[in-house]
Amino acid sequence: MADISLAMDTIMMGTFPAKKEAQRKQARDSSVPLAANRLDPDSDESLLIAVGTKQSTDAFNELFNRFSKRVFAHGMKITRNEQLSKDLVQEAMLTVWQKAPLYDLDRGTAQSWIFTLTRNRCFDMLRKQKRQPSCVSADDIWPGEFEDVDAHGKKEHEFIEVEISLVEKYLSQLPAAQQAVVEQVYLFDRTHEEASALLEIPLGTLKSRLRLAMGKLRQLIGNEND
Amino acid sequence: MINEANFHPSTELLQKFAAGTLSGGMNVAISAHVELCELCRKQTSELEAKATIDWLQTPADDNGAEYSDMIANIISHPQLNKAEEKKSILSEMHMLDHSVSLPKVLAKAAAEGLVWKKLGGGINQAQISLDDETQCEFIYMQPGSQTPVHKHQGSEVTLVLDGSFSDELGQYGRSDFIMRTSIDVHQPRSDEGCLCFAVLDKPLTFTKGIARLLNPLNNYRFKKALSQNTNF
Repeated sequence: MADISLAMDTIMMGTFPAKKEAQRKQARDSSVPLAANRLDPDSDESLLIAVGTKQSTDAFNELFNRFSKRVFAHGMKITRNEQLSKDLVQEAMLTVWQKAPLYDLDRGTAQSWIFTLTRNRCFDMLRKQKRQPSCVSADDIWPGEFEDVDAHGKKEHEFIEVEISLVEKYLSQLPAAQQAVVEQVYLFDRTHEEASALLEIPLGTLKSRLRLAMGKLRQLIGNEND
Repeated sequence: MINEANFHPSTELLQKFAAGTLSGGMNVAISAHVELCELCRKQTSELEAKATIDWLQTPADDNGAEYSDMIANIISHPQLNKAEEKKSILSEMHMLDHSVSLPKVLAKAAAEGLVWKKLGGGINQAQISLDDETQCEFIYMQPGSQTPVHKHQGSEVTLVLDGSFSDELGQYGRSDFIMRTSIDVHQPRSDEGCLCFAVLDKPLTFTKGIARLLNPLNNYRFKKALSQNTNF
């Protein structure tokens, strides 16, 4: 049962990115480093944060119970060797313990974090076992540094979110008839003809309302910038 | 700056990259492209999330192992602190008249130095060994150079790092990721010069004229690259 609910957690997080984003924002805005009490204390994330911030061995034991079987299964899938797969459990869970202080909610779900770390340790272990050159390691191939560039993206995203909320505010200041026209044309991407049919107004009326509405919006945004 | 790539790894390839099932050489080529391509970076993190779900849904039997000693051993290790994480490496390759900034993983792979060989026709090659399944090399095509017409016994992946080249199927610039399989016969040429990273999983076969004589040599070259690997 526990396994099914784990999987469900992941699916839910993926399905409601808005919720996750809100969680992240909360985490960022908070002056207390990552208040784990906003999360379910039994969640993988809470346990991982407890391992990272309080060196909690209880939390680590629980994570070990939840994940070691899966780490072993990944090892078997890739290496088809029981001993190597056991070694992978040691390597991967050791890395979970050592790197837990580097985990925070910005890095995504705990499951994803542990999966990528397992994948990376497995890759390195297999190369070592096959005596392949050690000039590149898994951490070079799948670097956390990809996230640096993402951070830019995130900032830009937030900036656009602010812009959108401003525009929403101005839009709500327009007369209802003009709002409806802007909505149809710019939000739902309908042609003027489609919008006039849907709103049951003549095309000419739609065009003049749209012109008035856009003029008014420009004026409002202009005032804000002055 | 980051250019927008026009040619990307297939979703299937990115999926395998996210799941960790590819060879070292192929992983390096994809990693380098992903660093240069925002689109593939996004797709990779989505595919990692998907791979995680697959991982969690795969049945995992209790293998009956007793892990209490392992846990005791693990928690006796010190943990990392946040500051220890970052490390930077030099990531530029100096060409004749300018330098090219390399994706981090390639800079790391080339950190021990490259030995360039002239292959004729204005093509230069520097091999690096990354695993025993692929042949990996940097290729520098001088301005105005052209390779002999060739096809591949296996697949060939080329990532453009600087400049551009073209073949019968298109024109490729920085950060483009091109995959050719055994059915493609092509003849790349470069007017402005081009630096690439290539991963081959079987040696090339030349199909025309005097260059066909290179086939036995080429097989030899590949075998030699493999035997160098096993010396590690």
